[in-house]
Amino acid sequence: MTYNIMTCGVGGQGLMLVSNILGLACAEYGLEIRTAETHGLAQRSGSIYTHIRIGDKVYSPLIPYGEADILLGMEAIETLRYIEFLKPDGNIILNKYLWYPVQSTFERVKNPKISYISIEYIVEQLEKVSKNIHMIDALDLAHQAGNPLTSNVVLLGALAKIDGFPLKMEQLQEIIPKIVPKKAIDANLKALSLGFENR
Amino acid sequence: MIQDVISQDKSKAFLFCNEAIVRAALESDVKVVAFYPGSPVSEILDTFFQISNNFNIKMEIATNEKVALEIVAGASMAGQRSLTAMKSVGLNVASDTFFSLGYTGINKGCVLVFADDPFCHSSQSEEDGRFFASNAYIPMLEPSDPVEAKEMVKHAYEISEKFKTIVLIRTTTRINHQSTIVPLDPLNRTAFEPTSFREPQKKYSTVGSKAREYKLKMLQRRDKIKEEFENSQFNFIKEGYPNFGIITSGVSYNYVLEVCDKLDIRPPILKLGTTYPLPEKLISGFIKKLKGVIIVEELSPYLELNIKALAKDINPNIKIIGKETGHFSEAFEYNIPILFDVFREIYNIKSDIHYNSLLKDRNSLKSMLPKRIPVFCPGCPHRATFWALTRAVGGKSSEIAFMNDIGCYSMLLLNNEIYSKLNPDDLLLSMGATLGTGSGVSLASKEKVISVIGDSTFFHAGLPGMVNICHNNEDVTVIVLDNSVTAMTGQQSNPNTPVGDSKKKIHIENILKGIGFEDLMINDCFDAKNCIPSFKSALETKGPSIIISRGPCALWNDRNKRRRGEKIQPFFVDQDICRKCHTCMRDFYCPAINMEDALAEYTDENSKAWKGYSSHISPELCDGCGVCSIICPYTNHEERSAKDVIKPYKTLREVRHDL
Repeated sequence: MTYNIMTCGVGGQGLMLVSNILGLACAEYGLEIRTAETHGLAQRSGSIYTHIRIGDKVYSPLIPYGEADILLGMEAIETLRYIEFLKPDGNIILNKYLWYPVQSTFERVKNPKISYISIEYIVEQLEKVSKNIHMIDALDLAHQAGNPLTSNVVLLGALAKIDGFPLKMEQLQEIIPKIVPKKAIDANLKALSLGFENR
Repeated sequence: MIQDVISQDKSKAFLFCNEAIVRAALESDVKVVAFYPGSPVSEILDTFFQISNNFNIKMEIATNEKVALEIVAGASMAGQRSLTAMKSVGLNVASDTFFSLGYTGINKGCVLVFADDPFCHSSQSEEDGRFFASNAYIPMLEPSDPVEAKEMVKHAYEISEKFKTIVLIRTTTRINHQSTIVPLDPLNRTAFEPTSFREPQKKYSTVGSKAREYKLKMLQRRDKIKEEFENSQFNFIKEGYPNFGIITSGVSYNYVLEVCDKLDIRPPILKLGTTYPLPEKLISGFIKKLKGVIIVEELSPYLELNIKALAKDINPNIKIIGKETGHFSEAFEYNIPILFDVFREIYNIKSDIHYNSLLKDRNSLKSMLPKRIPVFCPGCPHRATFWALTRAVGGKSSEIAFMNDIGCYSMLLLNNEIYSKLNPDDLLLSMGATLGTGSGVSLASKEKVISVIGDSTFFHAGLPGMVNICHNNEDVTVIVLDNSVTAMTGQQSNPNTPVGDSKKKIHIENILKGIGFEDLMINDCFDAKNCIPSFKSALETKGPSIIISRGPCALWNDRNKRRRGEKIQPFFVDQDICRKCHTCMRDFYCPAINMEDALAEYTDENSKAWKGYSSHISPELCDGCGVCSIICPYTNHEERSAKDVIKPYKTLREVRHDL
């Protein structure tokens, strides 16, 4: 069995940390993992994704369409952009956060009556594929954790609560101190717990 | 992660492929490495940069890929194991030296990793570099994942030393940008001891009669390596049935295995790891009894044509399914759905999976989804430069021709619509081509030519073009975008980057003056309004005019700030007095600035009131460059008072994670 997690967001949101924590945890606890990442040009405030595949026997680094168990979106627009990867009725972890593309602002300047895309509209579209949407205000919880940069780890906490997710919360708690800077360990562990509790 | 790359005790680790390649070189006791950065292999450079001092490795960030290859070839000839890595188009730059190395050979193990980029994720062309190997008679190994990449780099040193030739490792973006759990072997490093170039008593000069002699030896070497590759561990057959087989290599091998599992079929598979010279006996044996074979390889029909040539004598009736039958494309990347449809047809399997209709259904949910194209970062110097240049060009877009080049500023082209006044999609070819093409366009046309070039590209391939412009007195306005680093690939240093305690760097203005450009202008690009007159005057000049537009890369600058413990002072829009004129949004295109959702009213000093949407600056994204406050018509950035619409926050914020 392969467990597929599609993560996505905007360049600079810290998607790499999520896949690195999962990778380190898999190495530590004897699971196979393969990931495909975005680097380079697309990182400049562009759309980014990571395919994460965990299981006994993982071949392709890319998840086929319609086969992701979880779609984890750090930003709402990007979550809808990668919807083709989600299984019907798969789990969506959706950060309640919109980062408007410059191109949208450019369109609004030409015609201010056109509004930006809304979270409600995005949820409506996502629900056509799955009603299992877990919306989380990760930035708010990250602030509560004491560091606004820990939104990514908040979402990882929410991920850990999904039924069938192959790693345990305690395992992630073991790994985080090995990967984040010393002074950020407490905030990251708190962010992980807050994400887990508030899913 | 970096600590795993240098781990002395772990037996396995979760590694990024580019890290696994570095680990392999470390385990092979590599001594000299040199690179010019380029996606998807930049992280090989970055990883070595962090660890080379710990391991007594001599490392250089070279001015371009050709110089990097020459450094590692020279080091190998002088007796040290060496490695370089470059992207596909980088090998084009290095190719002149590369071909000669096929003739002269090398001494100690020398490995060249090169990465093709199917789908042009971050390249200007989608090349198939495998033809470099066959054209230059240089052996090539192709890994299918990070585990195999590590094994192959280690093995490449053995091949290299046994046959005294440089060895290619050919990857693709999906291999380089993949992470998995990789077995680690011990790091048995030896101390760096200088060797003698004289000692091996070998010469490395090729020309004329010497080249003819080398050519014959090179052909013999190729035949010997082919014999060796017939038994290579990297080529293997998975037996199966029916007698319709599959031949594949690289990342496609993984797709083949997964699709076979999905369709529950077990056809015979030949996986090739040594793709030059090809193990022809092995391939011939495999195809001899088959009724048909599917060739799965991205890009050009390299394996396909070679296998067809072999089949002509061995099994002329075999059906060969590939690109020439129209089953696979020569363009872009492959994935599971692409292979699935072909295999389902060939093996005649019924399945409920319909990837294409699923994709179509899901895409129908995205009709309102906005595009998100990569743009200059908040605080990027280029945004300020192009704001000023756009103002200098004014309404004369039709009278200029814009020569673009490779770097972050290539993104102008992607954002063609918002930068339309500069015609940013006029012309963009390759590193440094902005200058030569600029000369050509200026000779031929009546438009005023603007050539833009970054600092790293200037050193990489811009110097000959600059000399040419000066020597021939071309009518070209050259704008050198000096942001201090090679920004696009991850802010690596270049000759223009202040390094070490002495902050030593090579000054672009000194070079330009040395060439003979006496009237060059230097702009502080963040002082955006004051840059407009110099751009205007450059555009009015007949003959060459040079402007250095200077300002540090925001990401690099932020990292330096974080290191020094400094914070960022973001700006905000005073909603009460914002006149809703939208100048900052309309003209500046900063990702940190967007439009408020709610209508707000403004009453001016003559009691005239109107409604509109204010601008809003996201405090988490704003980098504090302050250029929006310079271009705001209702802010006096020189005085800074409460009357300003855009003003700096009093409280500072932490520098966010770099990208």
